Amino acid sequence: MADLEVSNLSVHYKKLTATHSVSLSANSGDIIGFIGADGAGKSSLMHAIAGVIHFEGTVSYKGYTYHSPQECEKIKPEISLMPQGIGLVLYDTLSVEEHLEFFADIRDIKQDEKFLAYKEKLLHMSGLSEFTKRLAGNLSGGMMQKLSLICALLHRPKLLILDEPTTGVDPLSRLELWDILDAIRKEEGTIALVSTAYMQEAAKMDKILLFDEGKIIAQGSNAELIDSIRPFTYQALKEYREDVITFDKRSYSLAPLQAQVAEPTLEGLFFINALKNNKTLPPVEIGDKEQQESVPPVIMQAKGLTKYFGDFIADDHIDIELKSAEILGLLGANGAGKTTFIKMLLGLYKIDEGSLSLLGKDIKSADDRLELKSKIGYVSQHFALYNDMTVRENLIYFANMHKIPLDKALQRIKKYAYELGFAPYMDKFPTELPLGVNQRFSIAAALLHEPLVLFLDEPTSGVDTIARAQFWQILHKLKEKWGISILITTHYMSEAEYCDRVVLLKRGKKIADDTVANLYKAHPDAKSFEDIFLSYFEAQI
Amino acid sequence: MRINIIKAYMLKEFKELVRTRLIVMVYLLPSMILILFGYGIRMDVSHARLIIIDNDQSKLSQTLSSKFEHTKYFDTVERHMSETQALREIKQAKKDAILIIPSSFEKNLLKGEKSELGIFIDAAFPTRGTTIETYIQGTILSMAKEVLAKKGVAQKGMITINSRSLFNQAMRDEDAIVPGLIGLVLLIAPAILAALLIVKEKEKGTIFNFYASPLSKNEFLAAKLLPAFLLHSLNIFILFLLSVYLFEVPFRGSFFLYWLASELYILVSLSLGMFISVITKRQIVAVVLTVIITLIPGFLYSGIIMPISSMDGASQIEAHLFPIMYYNHIIYDTFLIGEGFASQKNLLYLGILLLFTLVLFSVGKLLLKKEMK
Repeated sequence: MADLEVSNLSVHYKKLTATHSVSLSANSGDIIGFIGADGAGKSSLMHAIAGVIHFEGTVSYKGYTYHSPQECEKIKPEISLMPQGIGLVLYDTLSVEEHLEFFADIRDIKQDEKFLAYKEKLLHMSGLSEFTKRLAGNLSGGMMQKLSLICALLHRPKLLILDEPTTGVDPLSRLELWDILDAIRKEEGTIALVSTAYMQEAAKMDKILLFDEGKIIAQGSNAELIDSIRPFTYQALKEYREDVITFDKRSYSLAPLQAQVAEPTLEGLFFINALKNNKTLPPVEIGDKEQQESVPPVIMQAKGLTKYFGDFIADDHIDIELKSAEILGLLGANGAGKTTFIKMLLGLYKIDEGSLSLLGKDIKSADDRLELKSKIGYVSQHFALYNDMTVRENLIYFANMHKIPLDKALQRIKKYAYELGFAPYMDKFPTELPLGVNQRFSIAAALLHEPLVLFLDEPTSGVDTIARAQFWQILHKLKEKWGISILITTHYMSEAEYCDRVVLLKRGKKIADDTVANLYKAHPDAKSFEDIFLSYFEAQI
Repeated sequence: MRINIIKAYMLKEFKELVRTRLIVMVYLLPSMILILFGYGIRMDVSHARLIIIDNDQSKLSQTLSSKFEHTKYFDTVERHMSETQALREIKQAKKDAILIIPSSFEKNLLKGEKSELGIFIDAAFPTRGTTIETYIQGTILSMAKEVLAKKGVAQKGMITINSRSLFNQAMRDEDAIVPGLIGLVLLIAPAILAALLIVKEKEKGTIFNFYASPLSKNEFLAAKLLPAFLLHSLNIFILFLLSVYLFEVPFRGSFFLYWLASELYILVSLSLGMFISVITKRQIVAVVLTVIITLIPGFLYSGIIMPISSMDGASQIEAHLFPIMYYNHIIYDTFLIGEGFASQKNLLYLGILLLFTLVLFSVGKLLLKKEMK
């Protein structure tokens, strides 16, 4: 019998079943990766194993079997859970040192020499040794996650459960987190269950479990999983076929295709799974714009844009130019200054220093922006939708805001609903819909007035791979058909590939700005964009 | 219960309370409520603004005017103006009442004929209006009595009233209101703090440190409620000092009883706060709910506005459902009466407060789950 055996575990939330009769097993020293869309049941399974939520089924840990949080209480000294969310379990007003003391105390650890040496080692590994006096609230996202991790490791847990510890963390911190984890599990023989949104990370795990709709639909090592989808992966087809999903240089099909085979990636798992469930990517068709306008060659020019929050510099003299018909990716970890930058562009934050021109017009006051409002579309990080209005009502409301005549508005809404594939959901409330659908209809809301430029603030965060693929298709079609310019922020480094040009921000400073092709040329060794950015991050220390 | 763990958790709570400045609220809120309400609620009337229009200008009419001038109840001015002009002053809220003395007031009176005084009162606030009316009538009657006595008119067989007010001889508002406010303050403030301390962790997500660790429910609750209990215990003394020295409320009873009842009452409040924190997820909801649950019944049934004994039916029953009635009974006793432990009722009410604590705490603890909902 394996050290950790989970059998037929189900988690229910009121009417909803989050995890559906899942089984898995793991041995000491294993790192098990959980991948899958938001709401696929990864977190629920982790909570159940950690004994913080009611569940059905059984979990056996080293011969001790439990069926409920109460029964799990007995082995909680052995378990550590790091829930999802940056710095979620940290207290803003306590320092790094105080956190370590607090977590040691509530775990009743004897503070002997052995412990102190271990603590020093953890601090050293995480690179937090110099910051022991700093309050958690003043740490960067990456540091918060490293602190959370070493707090979780303090009592030498034998079962470590980490729920998306690296989401939104900069690439360098992600590598460091991984190194700590890898070292600890080798030394301590810890079982680690780790969920992640980054496929590069999943590839390093001993075993990967793919979740979909509360079930584990595929499992195995990275190589095994990739092998399993190799027969279905081809070079991208030019034309659209109903039974084929094509995305970013590759096509996926269950039936054999007359095309060159391609080397699959883990992401392909999601597409193959979608095909197996008879879900395909409907083609995105964007109609022509109703009115054509002449557009200046430079849509947005920011020079030395700076924003202070007290002593903290959120954006430090940033120069960015957005050209006509260009998709510009603004990349960086949480807290790098992406959202602040977009908010300055939109006038939601006052510009402290620097100059800005939009569509050839210098922006000096709020009045300068007013006439430009009809030319700019914006989708915020959390989709500013009204949850007590249906999709249709929301869209009509946004059309009214832009003073679009009702008949014209209804016509456009109908068109977008069909083109962007949310027509079946028109009379549903946003809260009832998957994030991916909300994302698409937020885009529709921003397109109703046919803007010349779109500002998108982390529209893909938390959205599953398939929905993200669809989303990028929409953006590319928009660029193609409308000649629209798009500024998009994201913390997924892999999404850089889909942009024309990328700007990389780190702690409020611009550290790279070039076209995708040029960046690859400059870094011939890089296998992926992740590697390119890593080199910038490392160079900047 | 492992004392070391509780101590470590409490230390964290104190650090957070100080660093988030919540500690300021812990001490500012109770004193602020006491001071604001203590000065703000006024039932009796003093310095009512009165115009006297003396159309007689006789000796008698001047005697009457001077009666109104030498009292703290009225700020009197004598004016020569028409009735309409004077009424205008009331309409503009510049005056509260008018007294019109007719010409030949003295003459008629000496002749033994009827003489009518005109009184106009702003009765927009009925209670205040009635009170002013009574004062004016009383002043006039007392003057009439004096005048008659001087004239040698016999007073035989007349009833004289010899009244003595008990417990609040000076009939000061402060004495009646301030002790009642202590019951209100100590119901609201500890409950808010207790609710916040727990819900804060839920809202932030740090509650996982409790869920996922071997920390027991008792240890967690002790670590959360003890700091609130200790901090608010100091408020018992602060509120006492404010009442006795700032508002000059007499203290006639047992301080030990006051202290004991207050500590017990804080426990009731903390248990209530804990109960609320178990059923809410957001700090703002917890605070609003706590305020609604404590402030409204607390104010209605504190005995400040109306004594419980003069309530009837439903309100009488409702009053008995809330802890403030029992506590305030003891508080009024310690401040104004002084029966102390000799009173059976005080002892019974102490028992009832203990019962409130036990019931609320048990229900709260039962509902508190070491797992997500």
